[in-house]
Amino acid sequence: MPGVYFTTTEFLDDAKSAARDRGMPGIRTLALPADKYYVARGSKEVLQPIADQFFDKMLDDLTRPLAPEEAKPSQAQQRHEDANIKVAGKDFVDTSQKVNELFLDNRWADGLPIVPPTPKLVKEMEAGTTLSPQKVIGQVAPKNGTATVEKIAINAVMAGAKPEYFPVILAAMEGFTNKHYDLTHVVASTGSFTPVVIVDGPIAQELNFNSGIGMLGIGWRSNSTVGRALQLSLLNLGQTWPQVNFMGLTGRLEAYTFYTFSEDTAKSPWEPYNVSQGFQAGDSTVTVSSAGNPAVFGGGAVAPWTAQGVIDQMVAQIRNRGVVWPHAQKHIIVLHPDCAVELANKGYTRKSLQEYLYEQTRVPYEKLAKGVSFGEGSEEEFIRVSIADGRIRPDRAQIFLDNLKPGGRVPVVQSPDDFHIVVAGGSPGYDLLFTYPGTNWAHQTVKITAAALTKAGQ
Amino acid sequence: MKRNRSWFLAAALLTGGLCFAATSSAQVTLEVMNPRGEIAPPKTLGISPRGESLAGKKIVLIDNGKYGASNFLDVLADMIKQKYPTATVVMYPKPAAQTITDLPKWYPTVKQQGDLFVFGVGD
Repeated sequence: MPGVYFTTTEFLDDAKSAARDRGMPGIRTLALPADKYYVARGSKEVLQPIADQFFDKMLDDLTRPLAPEEAKPSQAQQRHEDANIKVAGKDFVDTSQKVNELFLDNRWADGLPIVPPTPKLVKEMEAGTTLSPQKVIGQVAPKNGTATVEKIAINAVMAGAKPEYFPVILAAMEGFTNKHYDLTHVVASTGSFTPVVIVDGPIAQELNFNSGIGMLGIGWRSNSTVGRALQLSLLNLGQTWPQVNFMGLTGRLEAYTFYTFSEDTAKSPWEPYNVSQGFQAGDSTVTVSSAGNPAVFGGGAVAPWTAQGVIDQMVAQIRNRGVVWPHAQKHIIVLHPDCAVELANKGYTRKSLQEYLYEQTRVPYEKLAKGVSFGEGSEEEFIRVSIADGRIRPDRAQIFLDNLKPGGRVPVVQSPDDFHIVVAGGSPGYDLLFTYPGTNWAHQTVKITAAALTKAGQ
Repeated sequence: MKRNRSWFLAAALLTGGLCFAATSSAQVTLEVMNPRGEIAPPKTLGISPRGESLAGKKIVLIDNGKYGASNFLDVLADMIKQKYPTATVVMYPKPAAQTITDLPKWYPTVKQQGDLFVFGVGD
């Protein structure tokens, strides 16, 4: 079917990259001037001069006979990424600087110094697991690069991770490449979503993950380098790059290490988070999720707070967002231990707190928005379409249908399980609400296995 | 212990090598491994042949759902109708918030809507 694709100048490289990835590099593409289009797009009158400028080009693209390369393009050749590279310098510092320059020039690094991934160091990293270096963990979006144990090990070395951490990194990569985790959205979207990585179970303590004051900050090698190993693995195995096919408009605020921390199971009044996800007590797991930047609640060291007040403020925050994307909305609630204990003392279990949040955040039918920005008319229409095409799970659909009427109270998530409650933080501490308002699922918890150097995770 | 020594040796290349370099004039070569994943290239396809004109054709305008795209396509629709009175314009929006993994099921339905397509505005 002949056609033409409109994009904008800022997204032209992205469009070309996607066209190549999908095997149609010759698709005719017109790039509207980004500096004019985005400010004009709210008004047809203001858009008219832009359309005038591109109309004849569009007609030409729709009717111009094909060039031979457009009709029968040459086949893309397999690029082999297995050859080692030798880098020489006048001394160690010079050589390591050249390695860093080479890697950044090739878009293999993130801009911070990397540890040169020599075969010896990679082999030592691989010794952290009993898995074969050639084992395939998954295909990494958006270009579906093959993530073998060895390739992940190379990136883990670059990040400065210890071999002991490697099974955590492998399990996280298994989660990212699970078919139910929409990695393309997380790594490519303009929304600049950031992976959230939560380590749970005895391996978190054995590897000295920080779950207390400063859990998202610097100073803990496990938090920092596991997060960075994942960031580099996604960068290199999925082959993304800012302004080319990672189009996060602001970039991620936790760009280099993601939001990587562990749950404080010792101070939590409830069972470990991973048990709530169906794992056994004593299992070590890693959860990979995705979120925008967290909202912060509570008084910390400077102001009074109550646990119920924190929860009710979170409810208000979520309700203020309305019911946008009820088929996919997900919240990760990180309660600092004092807050969790106070809630437990009031009688809340994790499950009853999830149910409280589910009920309290429901939105009156009369307050559903009449128009949404993603083109499906009102929120009610949007929800009905989501039910029809299966985005709202069949087992939850009737609850939405029963409430799409005057007097109804429409859920903002599909089920109470979409509130993921984790205990971590200092004493005093703050409480965090991570929200993923995206369109797809991005949450997996994976058991850590095949560890060779730790007691946990074997 | 041996592993720890090796790791710190590597770290020294970045942070502590200066002291060593001051006493060494020999060239240093490092062999490093490629961190990229292998990608199987997709089969490359050509684009569809074009007709001579839009006259009498059915043109499918696909709104990708992003804010303002429908405005832009509406403007184009009016211009097409004005220039080609015998052409038909059909609006066929991409399902909103459709998961990327589901899109391959949706794309073939576009072909059933008309003869030519215009897709916009992509980001």
